Amino acid sequence: MEARSFLSLEKTSREELREVLDLAAAFANGSLTDALAHKTICLAFFEASTRTAVSFELAARRSGAHVISLSERGSAISKGESLIDTVVTLDSLGADAIVLRHPAAGAALLASRHTSAPVINAGDGCGQHPTQALLDLYALADALGGFEELAGRRVAIVGDVLHSRVARSVIPAFVSSGLEVALVAPRTLLPPESEAWELPMLSSVDEAVGWGADVLYMLRLQKERMTGARIPSVAEYARYYGVARRHLHDGLLVMHPGPVNRGIEISGDVVLDPSSLIPDQVAAGVCVRSAVLALSTGAIQRAAA
Amino acid sequence: MIPERTPSELVIRGAHVLDPSSGLDGIMDVRISSGKISEIGEDLRGTREIDADGLHLFPGFVDVHAHWRTPGREDEETIETGSAAAAAGGFTGVVMMPNTDPIVDRPVVVDGLVRRVERESRVRARVSAALHVGLAGERLTEMRLLKEAGAFCVSDDGLGTASAGVLRNGMLYARSAGLPVILHCEDHTLATGVVHDGVAASLAGLPGSPASAEDTATATALILAAETGARVHITHVSTALSAALVGFFKERADVTSDTTPHHLTLTDELVSTLEGLYRVNPPLRPDGDRGGVEAALRDGVLDFVATDHAPHAQEEKELPMEEAAPGFLGHETAFAALYTDLVLGARLPLARLVEAMSCAPGRWVGEGGTLGVGAPADLTLVDLSEAWVVDRGTMVSRSSNSPYAGRTLTGRIMSTIVGGEPVHDRTGAKFGVRA
Repeated sequence: MEARSFLSLEKTSREELREVLDLAAAFANGSLTDALAHKTICLAFFEASTRTAVSFELAARRSGAHVISLSERGSAISKGESLIDTVVTLDSLGADAIVLRHPAAGAALLASRHTSAPVINAGDGCGQHPTQALLDLYALADALGGFEELAGRRVAIVGDVLHSRVARSVIPAFVSSGLEVALVAPRTLLPPESEAWELPMLSSVDEAVGWGADVLYMLRLQKERMTGARIPSVAEYARYYGVARRHLHDGLLVMHPGPVNRGIEISGDVVLDPSSLIPDQVAAGVCVRSAVLALSTGAIQRAAA
Repeated sequence: MIPERTPSELVIRGAHVLDPSSGLDGIMDVRISSGKISEIGEDLRGTREIDADGLHLFPGFVDVHAHWRTPGREDEETIETGSAAAAAGGFTGVVMMPNTDPIVDRPVVVDGLVRRVERESRVRARVSAALHVGLAGERLTEMRLLKEAGAFCVSDDGLGTASAGVLRNGMLYARSAGLPVILHCEDHTLATGVVHDGVAASLAGLPGSPASAEDTATATALILAAETGARVHITHVSTALSAALVGFFKERADVTSDTTPHHLTLTDELVSTLEGLYRVNPPLRPDGDRGGVEAALRDGVLDFVATDHAPHAQEEKELPMEEAAPGFLGHETAFAALYTDLVLGARLPLARLVEAMSCAPGRWVGEGGTLGVGAPADLTLVDLSEAWVVDRGTMVSRSSNSPYAGRTLTGRIMSTIVGGEPVHDRTGAKFGVRA
């Protein structure tokens, strides 16, 4: 059975995305219990995480896997063990897959070169966060009535694209799925060569709504790091790059990878509005990650490749 | 206070019309209707006529760099007196710099100024907000909210930006906000003196600021402008090297630049007077730099002239050089100083001077600077033959710190018209307005 690392969504085809989502649906409806029986999944988190760590652990356990969890506290990671040594150790202990979260872009790729076990990237710096993008696609397809319904819909990705690993996975995954994507951010929060994505650039949520966005995908603002240097104030950011009740219209969906800064990216009264897919995104995390674990470990064979 | 009364018609007859932007150069009549130029030709007649025989008619001058000291130092200048001084100098448009007290770094301050300008200014005054909060070169201002409040551009004028990283983010954000950035290029770790660090300073025993203080900051600004794609205007270029740097980047960045009448006509020889009156920033440079800047303006490397009109109270100028506030009045003498020294000195064609005072800065602000049919009737009538003495006692500005005080200049602004209505007029002395 072929083991395969899962590092990035940069060059993932529509068919490959669809396969993962179909498999996730099967996990969701309970037809694949014990798919990961006798597998050992190691969670190596070199950076704090709540929902991703919990979601992976649930995804593994519900499908019958053993789970070993290393966090930055209470493990050799906190003693300064290197990324490569940790990965080699987990491999030697018989891990069938290593789920890695790390503060540096490229960490997952580096780890994958030092282990025969598949590495699943659970977020590497400002690099990639592929399972987040998959669960976003899952939640969105579900809300729109199926994967086929994604084609031609418009998604505006709003906020700090520059520092966002979520954006770097979501953008290629959304584009591959047939969604039309636009970016909405001040240039201080865009990579200098963001034109490379060849996407429309808009300058406010109002403009995004005018562009005909079906979905506003809001990125988290790291306000501690930004205020003054890259944005002038939270007030100005919220005014132009935050979604407020006035933006909501019938059919508009709001997404956010979490955790939300209420009153900044999303005004408080919108977070749990019926137009918000945020709870659906979190819920989709488990079945999508079960599917990724099953495909990576080879527990379920991939059809497309 | 730009007149908005009943749309009226006015015909200016017989002036030598010179407007490089529309290629006009000859004696003709200009008809103004409803505040706009409606017709240019021969033998035009109207219900109101100005006989401008013997005068030159130019598009109104535009000054993108003025300090009207309001709010905070109304003892030095107000919107009323600053705009009157501008009108007396033939200017129909001005950009007001934000280094006031309070600093124009919040939307509420911009909003207040814009409302006051509507009531109090004789000319079209635009408000520059600060690029950084408190002009401190650290935190970005709320540029998009400032723009909504009516800010036309952003600038930390009076100060350079210490950190290139901070300046780069400022340019990026200004680009997103759709605001041009006016940059005063000065490295304060180098600019520690009070005059240009040259022979005159050495002989006088005054601490000098080297040309490198401007040149390194200009280079940094230009490199960042090219990289960020921001719309950047380098103001008061005063050295030959900075002018050359601007030239290098002209096709590589969205950059424009200006120099001042005083950097084109005065040199650091004045340092030997030891008079605080002659302190200015950037400092007056040696004649080699002056000549380099003049050549750059002539060749169009430097796009236009801006005055950096900087009124100061007498008690801030009648001091030793080291204690005096830097800055010169600019509006009232700009044209005459440049006409006298450069045009009559056969170093700059008159058409290029008009281009540099009207057309080019008009294009930069997006309004005025042309006598094309349909353009706003912002224009200035000049008597190129009249010689006059710059008298500190009769300046229109509330202050009197003109470096040309006592000098005889040639070329007198006879009338300034904004939106078809006279806002400055001394034609009565020579001829009447026929009703």
